[in-house]
Order: sequence, then C-alpha cells, then structure tokens
Amino acid sequence: MSLETKKSSSGRTKSQGDLIFDAQNAIKRKFTLNVIISWILLLLFLLFLFSGIKFSIGSLDFKTIHLDSAFIKENMGFVASGVGVTIGISVLSILFATILALLAALGRLSKIPPVYALSTFYVSLIRGTPLYLQIFFFFLALPQLGIILPGLWAGVLALGLNYGAYMSEIFRAGLSSVGKGQREAALALGMNQSQMMSRIVLPQALRFAIPPTGNEFIAMLKDSALVSATGFVHELMWRATKVGRAQFHNLEALIMAAVFYWIMTLLFTSLQGQLETRLARGDR
Amino acid sequence: MTAIIHLNHLEKYFGRLHVLCDICLEIEPKEVCCLIGRSGSGKSTLLRCINFLEEPSKGTIEVDGLSVNVGIKGKKRTDLVHNLRLKTGMVFQEFNLFPHLSVLENVLEGPVTVQKMDRQKAIQIAEMNLERVGMISKRDEYPNRISGGQKQRVAIARALAMEPKVMLFDEPTSALDPELIGEVLAVMKKLAEEGTTMLVVTHEMEFAKDVADRIIVLAEGEIIEQGVPEKIFSNPVDKRTQTLLERYKS
Repeated sequence: MSLETKKSSSGRTKSQGDLIFDAQNAIKRKFTLNVIISWILLLLFLLFLFSGIKFSIGSLDFKTIHLDSAFIKENMGFVASGVGVTIGISVLSILFATILALLAALGRLSKIPPVYALSTFYVSLIRGTPLYLQIFFFFLALPQLGIILPGLWAGVLALGLNYGAYMSEIFRAGLSSVGKGQREAALALGMNQSQMMSRIVLPQALRFAIPPTGNEFIAMLKDSALVSATGFVHELMWRATKVGRAQFHNLEALIMAAVFYWIMTLLFTSLQGQLETRLARGDR
Repeated sequence: MTAIIHLNHLEKYFGRLHVLCDICLEIEPKEVCCLIGRSGSGKSTLLRCINFLEEPSKGTIEVDGLSVNVGIKGKKRTDLVHNLRLKTGMVFQEFNLFPHLSVLENVLEGPVTVQKMDRQKAIQIAEMNLERVGMISKRDEYPNRISGGQKQRVAIARALAMEPKVMLFDEPTSALDPELIGEVLAVMKKLAEEGTTMLVVTHEMEFAKDVADRIIVLAEGEIIEQGVPEKIFSNPVDKRTQTLLERYKS
C-alpha cells in the first residue's frame, strides 16, 4: 500500500512523519502493557508465596508461607490507625525541613562569612551523624539537660533537622536556577532586595524545588518508622511491632505494616508524578 | 534646554582594569543617542552604570535633576539608587522577562509591586503599553510561548509601564534571529518618534543612522568621537571609528 492511499480514521491522509510517530507509539504502548502484565504476575507470585497452600510435585512436598488470618483480622484496625500518625509526622517534619532547607540554602549562597559558615556547619553536622542517633538524641539525651520533649515532637524535630540538611541542596539548586538576568531585571524596575526575592526569585526557585521535595516526602514516610524507637509515638511501625511481639506474630504484623507503607508510597508517588507533569506544562 | 542625563567624570574599574575613563556626557530630553564601539569598548558598562546595575567607581550621575555622587554610602545611597532606577527604564539583550508571570503580569509587576499602584489602574497602563508595542493580543501568554522578538517587545512595554524619563537599551537585538530584529527596531523607532529619550547600545548601524540624533563612539573606555549620524558615518575623524565602520560596510 502506498503512503498516499493510507487513510487515518478521520479520512485525512497521514504524512510519513505521522506514520512513524504512530509506529513508535505502538511500540511504547506494547512495552508498557507487557510491563504491567509482568507486574501483575510478580504480585500474584508474591501472594502465592504467602498463601499457605501445600502442594506436591511427584514425591516432593511443598509448602508456602502460612499467615495467621485470624491474627491479621483481629489486629488490622489497630495497625491501620497508625497510617494517619505516620502521614501526620511526615507532613509536620517535611514542613519544618522545608523551612530549614530554604534558610540553609540562602545561607549557603550568602556572601557574609558567618552566615555561610552557620549553614555549612549545620549541614555537615547533621549529614555526619546517623538519623537514628539524632532521634534518640532529642528523645533520650535532652531530658538529661532538663529538656523533655514528647516523643512526637522529638521525632518531628529530628526528622525535620535531618531532612532539612539534605534538602538544602535542592533549594540551593533552585535558587541558583534563577539567573542573574532575572535579578537585574527586578532591580532595574526599582525593586528592593525583599521584593526581588519574594516576587521574582523565590516563586521560580520553589517551582523548581517542588518535585524533588515530593521525593523527599516519600522517603520521609518510610524514615518516620525510626521514630517508633522512642516507644511513645503510635505510628504504623510502633503498632506493628507492639502487636507482633506481644503475640509472637511478628511475621504477620510486619507484613501488614509493609503493605501499608507500600500502598502509601504508591499513592504519593503517583500524586507527585501528576504534580510534576502539571508544573512542567507550559515550561513555567 | 537642560540635559536630562548628565554624567560627570565617570570612572569604572574592574579590579585593576580601567573600563571607563573620565566619561562626561550630556543627553537632552527627547534625544536619541546610539552608543557604538567594538565589544569590550565599555559601552554596555557605561549604560549599566547609569542605573547602578554596575557600580561606577568615581564621578557623578545625574538623571532628571537627581544627582548621585558615586562615593555616597549607606541608606541614603540605597534611596538615591532606587530613585535613579525609577527614572530609567532598562531593556536587556536577553529580554529577562519573568517566566513565571504572563505577559500582562510582567508589565504589571513594576507599577503594582514597586509603585504600589491600584491594580485596575495598573492594568490600564499595562494594556496601553502592550498596545504601543503591538503585543496586546498576547497579554495572557507566558513568555516561553512567544518568539524572541515578541519577548523583547514585551520587555520594552514592561520598562515603559514605569513611565521612566529615559529608556536605556543594552544591545536589544543582539540575541535575536535576523528575521526578528526588524519588529523590535520598528517599535524602538516608533518610541523615538513619540519623543522618548533613548540611549541605545547597538550594532545595528542602519538603525543608528536612521533614528539616532547623535552617535557616540567608544573605544577603550573613552568617548573618542560623537556627532550627528551623517557626520560620523560619512566623515569619521578618529582612525578607530573608521575601522569600526569599515567592518559594517562590507
């Protein structure tokens, strides 16, 4: 069939460029479809592994992992009610971290030596010590100095400080992405420094920083599990270990928590993906 | 008639490099001056010193009766520089439109944020200036969706919306594709005919010949020659002006 006679559904003759584009799209669609099928198969296999089914091939007997469904049913509500706490801790911590990261990034770009030093000192100290230690520090070490923080606030403080240090790089990149010409144009219009920052530089820098901050939030959802170590924050991980240990059903309890974490991650990853495409549109 | 721009013994050093040497210049209201010279001759620096985007090292700058001594420090200096910038509108080589704001919002930004003008009134002024540069039909577009020539016209409208006494143009067409230069020069020519005081750093010799009242030639940080276009283009005195113009003839 010659190219001229091949018609699209609307009856319009398609150019060779359109045909190549369609062919490439078909290849992409096929690939995506196969990936989805494979995912479903892997998921079914995982479910099968935990199904408790016994079967034999010839003289060999096989047994998959058996989970106590009565225990799961009984404790589902208790574990699930940790989801809200986990998300709550993560939201508070990411807000705190964002403020710190922005300040640290501004400090890092400052021409004033003590300010620059303060910013790099903070980042170095936090990145040079484990998050687990930092959480314990706020919860266990501070009371020795007479400062007693509730577990939740110790956790939020530690997570916020920790993520703030790592996220300062994101905000620094965001601020640097706003060119010198933008600042000059703002100054030439007669803006002062704070107008220039609030109207021109920060809106552009933040738009740049939103997608990577979303990634950090998703990582935070999982790192918030460390806060359970304080024993006073009843989030997902704490609840799972509590019921698991009490009834020696750690296998079921941890799997329940894992499923919740996984679902949360999937949900927020897809939200973040949508946000990213929205921000990318129109090259704004 | 009193001069609207008055530069008195202006000097600029970059470290030990002497980029502007003893510049004295007066520009009359409604005058259109083109600054020409080889790259590195200091013409952009001179322009950028007038609104303190570049810090001059010595001398005084006077715009519309507001005199700023370069040596002044502190809060008083910040205020003077701010007022100086309000009297000058600047158009950049790279347009520098704000990409997160629409065309209209770009033009509104100065009146609303800096002059604290009522938004409705500012919109009227912005629309009038977009009309002037022929960009009113794109008022709701974002800068990345319009061409380079259109961006520069919006940038001109953005500067005009502040109703400056003088417009400064820093190589406004140098970053444009050749086929887009004409529309920007046409707008500038229109402004000149409307009586806008303009100081233009340019390599567009045809434009300079056609529109300028005066050509100022810079070389090695000094004004080596100035005069009406006919004189500079047909009868340049300085050897360096002759070589400069030679290159544009071929």
